[in-house]
Amino acid sequence: MNYAMALDYQNCINCKACEVACKEENGVQLGADKQRIWVGVVEGTIFGKPFANLYPAQCNHCIDAPCVSVCPTFASHFAEGGIVKVDAHKCILCKGCMEACPYDARFVDDTMVAVDKCTFCDHRSLEEGGTTACQTTCPTKVRLFGDLDDENSDLVKLLKTKRFFFQKEYTGTLPKLFYILPDDEAYAKQSVSHNTIIHTWADIKPLYDEARTRRSKEWKK
Amino acid sequence: MKVEISRRRFLQGSVALSVAGGAALSSTQILADSKEKSQTLLMKKVPTICEMCVNKCAAIATVKNGIVTKLDPNPYFPKSRNMLCARGAAGIHALYDPDRLKYPLIRTGERGDGQYRRATWDEAYEFIKDKMVKILDEEKDNRSCIGYCAGEGLAEHTYKTFMSDKFGSSNFLNHSTICLQTAVSGYTLTIGGYGQADLENAKYVIMAGANRAEAILTPDTMDMFKRTRGRGMKLVVVDPRFTNTAMHADTYVAIKPGTDLAFVLALTYVAILDQVYNRNYVAKNFVDFDKYQKHILENEYTPEWAEKITGVPAATICKIAHDFMAAAPQAVFYQGRRTTWSKNDFQLRRAMALFTALGGGIDVKGGIVFGKKLPLGEHTATAPMYANAKPRIDKNVAAVVGATGSWVGWRNMVAEGKTPYPIRGMFVYKQNPMLSVPNSAKTKLMFEKMDLVVVIDTMPSDTAMYADVILPECTYLEREDPVQSFAGIEPAIILREKVIEPMYETKPVNDIMRELAQKLTKPLWEITKKYDEDIQAELEDGDEKEVFEEGGFDLAEPFMHSQEETNKHMFVEKYGEEAWLTLREKGVFYPNMSTYFKKIDNNTYQYYPKDKKFYSVLKLEEEFDATAYLHDTCVNPVDIADLKRSFNTPNKKVECYLGSMASKGIDAMPTWKDEDHVKVPAGKFKFITGRHAQFTQNSTQNNIILLELMRENYIWINDKEAEKLGIKFGDTVEVASSIGKVLIKAYPTPKIIPEAVFYIHGFGAKSAGMTFAHRNGASDNEIIEDTIEPVHGCANMHDTLVSLRRV
Repeated sequence: MNYAMALDYQNCINCKACEVACKEENGVQLGADKQRIWVGVVEGTIFGKPFANLYPAQCNHCIDAPCVSVCPTFASHFAEGGIVKVDAHKCILCKGCMEACPYDARFVDDTMVAVDKCTFCDHRSLEEGGTTACQTTCPTKVRLFGDLDDENSDLVKLLKTKRFFFQKEYTGTLPKLFYILPDDEAYAKQSVSHNTIIHTWADIKPLYDEARTRRSKEWKK
Repeated sequence: MKVEISRRRFLQGSVALSVAGGAALSSTQILADSKEKSQTLLMKKVPTICEMCVNKCAAIATVKNGIVTKLDPNPYFPKSRNMLCARGAAGIHALYDPDRLKYPLIRTGERGDGQYRRATWDEAYEFIKDKMVKILDEEKDNRSCIGYCAGEGLAEHTYKTFMSDKFGSSNFLNHSTICLQTAVSGYTLTIGGYGQADLENAKYVIMAGANRAEAILTPDTMDMFKRTRGRGMKLVVVDPRFTNTAMHADTYVAIKPGTDLAFVLALTYVAILDQVYNRNYVAKNFVDFDKYQKHILENEYTPEWAEKITGVPAATICKIAHDFMAAAPQAVFYQGRRTTWSKNDFQLRRAMALFTALGGGIDVKGGIVFGKKLPLGEHTATAPMYANAKPRIDKNVAAVVGATGSWVGWRNMVAEGKTPYPIRGMFVYKQNPMLSVPNSAKTKLMFEKMDLVVVIDTMPSDTAMYADVILPECTYLEREDPVQSFAGIEPAIILREKVIEPMYETKPVNDIMRELAQKLTKPLWEITKKYDEDIQAELEDGDEKEVFEEGGFDLAEPFMHSQEETNKHMFVEKYGEEAWLTLREKGVFYPNMSTYFKKIDNNTYQYYPKDKKFYSVLKLEEEFDATAYLHDTCVNPVDIADLKRSFNTPNKKVECYLGSMASKGIDAMPTWKDEDHVKVPAGKFKFITGRHAQFTQNSTQNNIILLELMRENYIWINDKEAEKLGIKFGDTVEVASSIGKVLIKAYPTPKIIPEAVFYIHGFGAKSAGMTFAHRNGASDNEIIEDTIEPVHGCANMHDTLVSLRRV
């Protein structure tokens, strides 16, 4: 098992259903700055005409997760299927992981006195036919959670037919949120920067397989 | 759907309960509390129907030890397509809102100052009874001297049954004339119904003013945004603001507010002049097309003419007209919802409907369709006849005032003391006119003139602060509501079940109506006997008990059964006992659901097989009855039936010329009138308002988790205009119109045209009873002028000019 998520981000309407569903599902601390999941907005004008792009996001559950490497107490760890989690009992709130994360996906939960983050809803998504709260609730079905190891999963089937990219790939953490490049060329151009590398399943698979083999010894069962 | 799970399995989920007051219990705390006991936590899943907005999405509530811990989408309902938006998921915080109305309250201070004392239900009913008896005695049994209004909801009908059918007042108001009345009637009188745009199949859609990304409407929102950007649907968004919907458009057209009619007329001109419309469809289905053609061409509604008015380049108009007709009949000029914009609104909707019809996109897959409605059994009640009950006061404020009145017209008559007979009291259910009707100062004046104001609600809204008696209703998660059938391409029946018992001393409206009716029946019957000559005549020859019973004067009669019993009766009559069990278990039912419904993957479900969907009603060989094909409860079927009766529109035809309207002084065909258009002078802006995906009007303004997503509203102003006025982001500005002033923070942005400013409706509550909403942001209706359009008396929400000043 190697859990990941594809995001058809062009469907996003910034309704923030995912943010609320996540909070309710996981009992995330209240407060606007306490988010396991969010919608990134990039907006501006091109020759005077307004544009906006939306990038729904959460923890990338990187294969080479710097937040796990940096943790002095092993509170940050890889759970089943490479899901990056925090063991609240071991967390000493040094916040090193928050510094290390390229995605700013972590925050302090004051009620738990520990760092909190996305768990891919592993209490419900790993069940047969299960998925994350954010995927289920989404009106336009941006997300698809699945297993990269399973060639027959809906996720791999989708990745095989589409091109995709990662956010901040240059940090080299091997993130697992796959942003599906829109087929529409005009929109694809508008929503991707010049430096973004576009991938296919064939080109990325060896790299991810190798990393998985290397790191999966650390994954808890 | 009761499931018991062990404590161990529950804890594995590491689910923390998020409960009242925002306190979160962590799993470790649960462990610590119950370390040694191996008891099981009672968990159950109950299907319910969301009431955070008007869409009625099906949801499943998870209840653990009596606490609602999560609301998930219920995949079975075709209309809501297995989704729950931010507001839907935040329903828990409506239930556990610490500011909820908990007990009946009786006013002790002045109106509006929020001084109330806790009362028992009996005291509250007794108070209402004494006032009602006095008022009706003084008004000689004119039942209409008590007005009543209601917000949309599954229980709205229960309340109306009492106030209208049993109590007998004609003065009803609902959201229609501050919402979508003009669109409903414009489309109904033109193409026979409001219908549903088939956004799963349409190839070309023009959305003018409609904002489906931010004003979520099911299933339209879910269907369309999976098909934009080269995936089957070309989308043109016409709006003064670059909205989240515009972001998805192939073409975004910035337009000046109030000029959409000129835009549509020019589209029509191009389609007719260039002969690109569907001539075959028009020949078969249009009535008076020659008149319309002549009207459009002779008035020279050219794209160049429209460009001057709308600000939309003529070439863009030409291209849109041609592209639309090339995609037709799979092309729709989207009807829109909250459409009370400006004086020409009814004509605008007519022109839009006619333009869609010119392409032939009516009653056809990918066009505007009418679908099918699954029948339900009847629950009947006898409505008494009151000889002294007078017709509604506002019947002459516009050409056609329907059963839901004209909110602004009615309110102004009362506030200005211009009613033909006194309006002495008002019942308000689930509506907040202090915030929702233009010109709040006049609404306040209206309430101050009344001898009795009763508010039934879940929250201490601004309107509740003007009540003499507040009756606390339970939230939608604490009650069963009337079973409802939703028409559409994929029709279904849904049931809102009670998830938990009502908290505090709150009650469902069915119980409130029953108990109040029981209190009122006898004393009001005495008043009727005293003043009603018809009844007096009947009593001369008949037995009093018989006259009373047969006349339906027992006001409590329709409410004597529990909601569960009534629902079962209405459903089982048509579908049988087994289907009833399915409905209760799944929350949704439609014939053949067990074989039709399929999960394709975690994101996709099949509700009906492709060949079983109801795209065309005419091909069904059923009698075409537009009232049967309404797919949502915002559209009042009685109103539509009335409209069709009054105007005698022949079915199955597209009406270009409404002769019967002409006799009422209304243009028989959509006509641009320059004198009706509010122009923007230098130094002023046109104020527009709108919706947004995280709040529903003003009803969710105190919801703590939604406030995290958007803390307050900001005024949008074009960035260049802001620079001229020295206004920067976050500056407090004073926005002044002819009727009021508000203070609000500024959001300069290139996403709005220079002539207009905008802020979201639903903020700026003054009620101190709402901790988080109190004085948060600004209310639009404090500055929107109270003018109405001439056809239905709908509020002109976008005809107000304002000036801005940094303070």
